[in-house]
Amino acid sequence: MVKTIRKREKPVSDSRTRLLGVLALIGLITAGCAGDAELDTLQPQSNNARDIDTLLDRVLVIAGVIGVLVLGAVVYMAKKQRVKSYDGDDEFPEQISHNNTLEIGWTIVPAIIMVVVAVLTTVAHFSLNETEANAYEVEVEGDSTSWEPKVVVVGQQWWWEFRYYFTEDVDADFLDDPRNLPPADIVTAGQMVIPTGQEVELLVTSRDVIHSFWIPALNGKRDARPGFFAPWEISADEPGVYFGQCTEFCGLSHAKMRMQTIAMDPVDFQNWIDEQMVPQSAPPENADDPVSRGATAFLANCSSCHLVEGFNGDEDIAAAVVSQAAPNLTHFASRTTFAGGILNTYTEAGEWNRNDISQWLRAPETVKENYANGLPDGELPRGMPNLGLSERTISDLVAYLETLGEKPSAEILAATEVE
Amino acid sequence: MAIIEEPLALTSGEQHAERPLGVLTRPQANGSWKDWVSTVDHKKIGIMYGVAAMFFFLVGGLEALLIRTQLAFPESGFLSADVYNQIFTMHGVTMIFLFVMPFAAAFANYLIPLQIGARDVAFPRLNALSFWVWLSGAIFLNTSWIVGGGGADCGWFCYSPNSGITFSPTNGVDFYAIGLLITGIASLVSAVNLAVTCLNMRAPGMSLFRMPVLTWMLLVTQFLLAFALPVITVALLLLLFDRQFDSQFFDPEAGADPLLWQHLFWIFGHPEVYIIILPSFGIISEVIPAFSRKPIFGYSFMVFSGIAIGFMGWGVWAHHMFVSGIGPISVFAFSMATMFIAVPTGVKILNWLATMWGGKLNFSTAMLFAVGTVTMFTIGGLSGVTHSLAPADTQQTDTYYIVAHFHYVIFGGGVLGLFAGVYFWWPKVFGHLLDERRGKIHFWAMLIGFNLTFGPMHVLGLQGMSRRINTYSSGFGFEFWNLVATIGSYILGASVLYFLWNVYKSKKDAPNLPAPGPDPWDARSLEWSIPSPTPEHNFDEIPVIESQDDWWFRKYNIEDDGSVVRISSAEDAAQKGDAVGVHLPSPSFWPLVLAIGLPLIGYGLIFNLWLCVVGGLLTGGAIYAWVLEPVDDPDAGAHGHDDHRDGGDPDGELATVGAAGDDMEGED
Repeated sequence: MVKTIRKREKPVSDSRTRLLGVLALIGLITAGCAGDAELDTLQPQSNNARDIDTLLDRVLVIAGVIGVLVLGAVVYMAKKQRVKSYDGDDEFPEQISHNNTLEIGWTIVPAIIMVVVAVLTTVAHFSLNETEANAYEVEVEGDSTSWEPKVVVVGQQWWWEFRYYFTEDVDADFLDDPRNLPPADIVTAGQMVIPTGQEVELLVTSRDVIHSFWIPALNGKRDARPGFFAPWEISADEPGVYFGQCTEFCGLSHAKMRMQTIAMDPVDFQNWIDEQMVPQSAPPENADDPVSRGATAFLANCSSCHLVEGFNGDEDIAAAVVSQAAPNLTHFASRTTFAGGILNTYTEAGEWNRNDISQWLRAPETVKENYANGLPDGELPRGMPNLGLSERTISDLVAYLETLGEKPSAEILAATEVE
Repeated sequence: MAIIEEPLALTSGEQHAERPLGVLTRPQANGSWKDWVSTVDHKKIGIMYGVAAMFFFLVGGLEALLIRTQLAFPESGFLSADVYNQIFTMHGVTMIFLFVMPFAAAFANYLIPLQIGARDVAFPRLNALSFWVWLSGAIFLNTSWIVGGGGADCGWFCYSPNSGITFSPTNGVDFYAIGLLITGIASLVSAVNLAVTCLNMRAPGMSLFRMPVLTWMLLVTQFLLAFALPVITVALLLLLFDRQFDSQFFDPEAGADPLLWQHLFWIFGHPEVYIIILPSFGIISEVIPAFSRKPIFGYSFMVFSGIAIGFMGWGVWAHHMFVSGIGPISVFAFSMATMFIAVPTGVKILNWLATMWGGKLNFSTAMLFAVGTVTMFTIGGLSGVTHSLAPADTQQTDTYYIVAHFHYVIFGGGVLGLFAGVYFWWPKVFGHLLDERRGKIHFWAMLIGFNLTFGPMHVLGLQGMSRRINTYSSGFGFEFWNLVATIGSYILGASVLYFLWNVYKSKKDAPNLPAPGPDPWDARSLEWSIPSPTPEHNFDEIPVIESQDDWWFRKYNIEDDGSVVRISSAEDAAQKGDAVGVHLPSPSFWPLVLAIGLPLIGYGLIFNLWLCVVGGLLTGGAIYAWVLEPVDDPDAGAHGHDDHRDGGDPDGELATVGAAGDDMEGED
């Protein structure tokens, strides 16, 4: 269901207008060849993205008409006025060097066209910037609270973190330092969850270099700039999984820095909050149980960077990497993606993805290039280091990670698969 | 400029120190390779610019093919992410700074003096300096592959803080910064030199508004360079200070705002686009009239729209930053400014069409490239308008839609136009034509390859494919068009090799073909009034200009009824190129020596400060020697100096070219 909704056809009038121009043709080819393109900018699924798409469509029509006229004029002249050579032929066409009326005319006409385009843009620009997020009622630990729907979005090499503060008045003053943010109610990585039909405000920042947060179906992009909180917003009409990709070049593994936004209807969203708010407890100690051994291995190998709330501490850890943060793994198994949004936590069959998770633990640099191993003294890693874990430790860790949180719904799992 | 108006020359036989400091002499041209390294002749310098730029075109093209090979299939492991990032960075840097700009400089150097009726540029030794400094910077940049641990890996835009020492610890970015500082010196020197040339060296009667459109566009370009390069110079110095001396101009942890770099870079970077495109606009404004048999339509609108683009180009830089977080009002203002730059650009396109309208169109290779420029640039310009819609740009920016757009502008609008110029002026420069049949194959292969490469990128971008990604997953619908683009890029690459084959074959066949004569295209501007190839002294006598397209009116007359009557053949009207006794500026080795010192200083900053001392001594010494070397070659009889009059010229260069501009008329 999740998927089918997203694959809705564009309104008929829309595709009709697009037919008018050459560039429009490109749009059709796009739509034709990319029915399932998860990052397609021409299949908007939110108010903002739709406004943007409508603006672009209109201007593409204008541009298409102009393009056809210019190319048509060239082709026409090439057919009608072509001569093979001037040899022995001193015949000249009429020597017209200028025509002021004409020239003033075609200075004014493009200007008028641009005024039309400018008006369209102005209206769209200011209406997009005026969208406001309304307060949204959520229940947090049994108490109903009015959440000013804001999510703090933090980019770092090469993954995204999403932080939810339900009871705080979230602004730049409150957040202060992107590298040392106040503890949040919920922290996820690679995957942001929002309620449908609701404008959610984003505060986008970075812990190292500039990144850019972009979920094409839901809105344009916004740069994540270290030291600043850039306001942005996002919403989704329908439940679904919406894909995104970091678009500001951010170094080595820029290509492998992706993210997803999951939109849930209000009931599911509340369930998600309830589930995420439950701290994780340590599994009972049992040397024969891989989960228990995995928990021990986690404490020994992972816990200096990664946090599982309720298990290895309840404060954020300043990880010994350049960005001073590693993905928060609380409720890891409730997410459908990991390693910066490039691998799925569950297989197509809906099984725990042992292969990919094991490979990530075994040799992360083969999955995603990084600067985490063999560094000169004093240089902090960027990315997940290869810890030289034994196969047994890896399989214990994989077993332990599976116990962190509840498996997402079948619809969400299905929608996470990219065809 | 009194110094120009009063001919400054030395009385024949006047005693001047032939060997200042006992060692410095002025070299002479004697037909050996040393002529090339010591030349101050704008034509030789122009040719060297062209050859060197073409070499770097091949380097940048190879990098492009590596990029496209990597992207041909999803999840490709052809290149590692690290190497890929270096290659796309160096592809951009090479194509912009080491190919398009110097290739345009080749035309500027060769043609400006010819089109305004001068015997050389205003400062010939500075001209040589520009070339050698540019070449040393270009070589320096590329040596980072060998000694710098790889090329820069920060993209040509090199945003901070990703360009900082923490995130880019190899020396690639240092090579980028220093290399571009060095090539920047070259462009700045050349900009001043050529602007002065346009303003002061014009032949009698060649008023500004009789200058050919090409010279006008090149003049505007020189002003853009002169004002844009200082900005990037500041930015690069700050970056270098950050990396080499731990300053904190761009360090967010120390409170810096990464937007500083973006503003500085794009205040340079956007005028740079017009620096790239205006020379090409100028070239096709010469080619299209010649092959339409009509004058350029709306000369003054053409000139003023070029100037308007030059001015407006300064007010649109932040359209590269619509998603950077500069605030909705700034975004709005720059969005509007960007839209309205389409107006003068549109005027240009319409004027080219109007020039062709009703004309007799001869689709020679040069004309094909020129018309290709108009059409491809139109596509690039129109997609540019879609970026100017700030809200839509938040979807488009940093996707392949942008890559498609700027390649249509820079390659479609810029490089195709430069190739039009290559075919058009080749006979003037080398004395033989490039083969037309092969030229047309070259054009069509290039046009098809170009469209196959960059056309699909529009689709990919709108489908959401990000720029600067070394790989993509299957399933997002990117596979088909990426493969098409890669195939297109190989066709494009093959077309360039075919062009080189055409150059080789045409040269080989030239002796068996009739010489092209002074004016093979029946063209309109002054360079066609002198023999092909251009004699060393350009003009036997400096022409007196009576109208726009003066040369054409020496061949034709327009009767009262509007009909055109030939009054002279080109051969009869043209100068013979046999003048003797024309004083030309003497060669000098010091520009080359000075240029060699600069990269040494660069290596010194990166590896060992003692190298800076060596480089500094070379550069400083060369400046001293430059100042002190004698005005003339030691054997004053070689060129015949009977036209000298006393002037007490401290340099000797103004003298000769000053004489060329104003004084030669009555003498020969």
